Amino acid sequence: MIPSAMASSTETALESLHHIKSTEPPEWLVPKQELSQAVRAASKLLFSSLKPYCPKSPFDQLLTEGFDVEQIWQQIDLQSQPLLSSLRREVKKFEKHPEEISKLKDGGVGGGEKKKKVLEQIETDNVVNDDEDDDDMDMDEDDDDEEEEDEEGEEEEKERGTEEESENEGEEKGGIEDKFLKIKELQEYLEEDEAREFGLKKKKTKAESKKEEEDTEEEGDDDDEEDENEGSEDDDDEAEEEEDELGLFDGNDEEDEDDLENARYEDFFSRKKNKSSKEKAKSRDMLEEDSGSDDEQDVDKRKDGPSKHEKELDKLRSKIEEMEKANLDPKVWTMRGEVTAAQRQKNSALEVDLDFEHNVRPAPVITEEVTASLEDLIKTRISEGLFDDVQKARTSSSKAPREIKELDESKSKKALAEVYEEEFVQKTDPASALLTFSDELKKEASMLFKKLCLKLDALSHFHFTPKPVVEDMSIQTNVPALAMEEIAPMAVSDAAMLAPEEVFSGKGDIKEEAELTKAERKRRRANKKRKFKAEAAKRMGKKA
Amino acid sequence: MSTEAPTSMETETVASKTKLESNTLPPKPKFEPLKAHEMSDGRIQFRKVSVPPHRYSPLKKYWMDIYTPIYEQMKVDIRMNLKARKVELKTRSDTPDVSNLQKCADFVQAFMLGFDVPDAIALLRLDELYVESFEIKDVKTLRGEHLSRAIGRLSGKGGKTKFAIENATKTRIVIADTKIHILGSFANIKIARDSLCNLILGSPAGKVYSKLRQVTARLAERF
Repeated sequence: MIPSAMASSTETALESLHHIKSTEPPEWLVPKQELSQAVRAASKLLFSSLKPYCPKSPFDQLLTEGFDVEQIWQQIDLQSQPLLSSLRREVKKFEKHPEEISKLKDGGVGGGEKKKKVLEQIETDNVVNDDEDDDDMDMDEDDDDEEEEDEEGEEEEKERGTEEESENEGEEKGGIEDKFLKIKELQEYLEEDEAREFGLKKKKTKAESKKEEEDTEEEGDDDDEEDENEGSEDDDDEAEEEEDELGLFDGNDEEDEDDLENARYEDFFSRKKNKSSKEKAKSRDMLEEDSGSDDEQDVDKRKDGPSKHEKELDKLRSKIEEMEKANLDPKVWTMRGEVTAAQRQKNSALEVDLDFEHNVRPAPVITEEVTASLEDLIKTRISEGLFDDVQKARTSSSKAPREIKELDESKSKKALAEVYEEEFVQKTDPASALLTFSDELKKEASMLFKKLCLKLDALSHFHFTPKPVVEDMSIQTNVPALAMEEIAPMAVSDAAMLAPEEVFSGKGDIKEEAELTKAERKRRRANKKRKFKAEAAKRMGKKA
Repeated sequence: MSTEAPTSMETETVASKTKLESNTLPPKPKFEPLKAHEMSDGRIQFRKVSVPPHRYSPLKKYWMDIYTPIYEQMKVDIRMNLKARKVELKTRSDTPDVSNLQKCADFVQAFMLGFDVPDAIALLRLDELYVESFEIKDVKTLRGEHLSRAIGRLSGKGGKTKFAIENATKTRIVIADTKIHILGSFANIKIARDSLCNLILGSPAGKVYSKLRQVTARLAERF
């Protein structure tokens, strides 16, 4: 594109834009050729201005000649749709961080041509389209940035985020923050990381890696802004390194001193330096890299920056110091050998995992499963009848049980000679031995049992079985037959035996109640009374 | 000699050798065993057993039971000297053994002590039976009621303790007031004597029974 031609076309387009703006709404009702021409020109201008922000659009410029309204509209739509979404994001971001807007505005002060234009457009335009365009332009720039960032990778973005926190370009920065990272969060994360691991070493390494990436991935960054960004990034890296080397606060102080000594016009009136100084002011407490140092200084220090080897050595040194310190200190109680309770802190043994042998099996934890298993076992045992009863261990007697000789307390029927005779016979000829005492008992028992069995059989058997004839001696007494035969009556009544006089117990003449005369009745009553009185007197006499 | 199986010839030769050496001595005479009669150089031996007054009527009662075995089997003459109140025993010519007379004398003596004839006859039949006598006062000095009680303890109710001891130890016991006589073999006499002594000393009958049982069981085991 020829700039002059562009300039003229843009001027005419601007004029047409203004013209459009100035026309009254009612004029739009009737289709007019000049208005449409103006509109087309204006839209063309806008399209071309927005073009850089959407590289994906297939059209370099809006094709209006010979195209239908619909077609033109579709072209615009193609371009604007992606821009709209990014615009929305931007708006949301500004909602959350209203200070960004102010940054935007500040950024706009020292901006380049495009930026100036953009800002003007933000201020002046009120039409929705314009606004849209403005936003689109903003978004375009942001998109550019974002796309570049995407190309370069996350680390790059982060780096930019950390470094451009200097707010070289508010919009760019806003763009960065908008897409993936919030710069403040990033700062915090970085701080934590560094503090955690190596102090500030990690920052350095990160910066270095970022640097490397930057150098490698620089491609087609023709924008001044990009270059400036890179430059600022370098500065930031150097600043970081400086800080890491010299210690956190020291670095800051040194920087400050240096800045004060070498304060130049650029520090105060160039975008970068302003931002960096402001940054410093803000982030002095936070041990963050500042790009506030001079370029010169940064350049110088970059050359003297600690190499990898030096960093490793420092690491080692710090480790050694730690270990020496640990050795000098008194040992922890766990390492001291025999320690009684008095020599260690209270409840300190609870924290330590002590290892000792448990001679006792730990008590079984009674859970439901355990109880269920036990119950099942019990049930099976009961059903089987398999009880673990203690069975008496029978001492197997080697010899037959000795027959216990019962002490016979009656006069022995056998003479002493016979006793010895039997003994002798037993010794010499056991077969012909007579029955012993126990055998006789056995005989008697067997006889009794036989009798019993006989009786039971007789009761139980259906057919009659007569008693077995046992020839026994029966005693016949020489008694007269009459005596044997006489049988006394079983029941004898008393009435027949006793005479009435014998039964009666009483005296004299007995008269019935009916037979008594009045006088006799009176006499009877008088007698009774006399008796009673006599008794009463007696009782009274006794009591007294 | 190395050879294990000497021939008869060899032994004979050896014997003949010895004989030849002692040639001067005459051959040994062979005698038949002496008869009882001859042992005492043809003299008759006597034994006299005095009869206590309380045994006079039992003697009269059981005279034939006593006389028959002595005269028939032991071949010893026996007679009662009423005047002297003694039983006299005399060997005959055909008394087979010297000890018969002594046995008969012991038998009669046992009867006099108080034993029954059938029990006493065991003495005649068995060699190793003896009669031992001792008094209560030998064991323990008891006086008056204690003595009576001791005697009561010894015999038991209806004599059951005594019978128990008799049956357990295969002995016969006679408790005559304060004197106690035991008839039986040596070991049995010992057991009976121990039980009786324990009873005299005061142990209850049950204890004596239990001890008796143990001892008799042990005795029975041996055979």
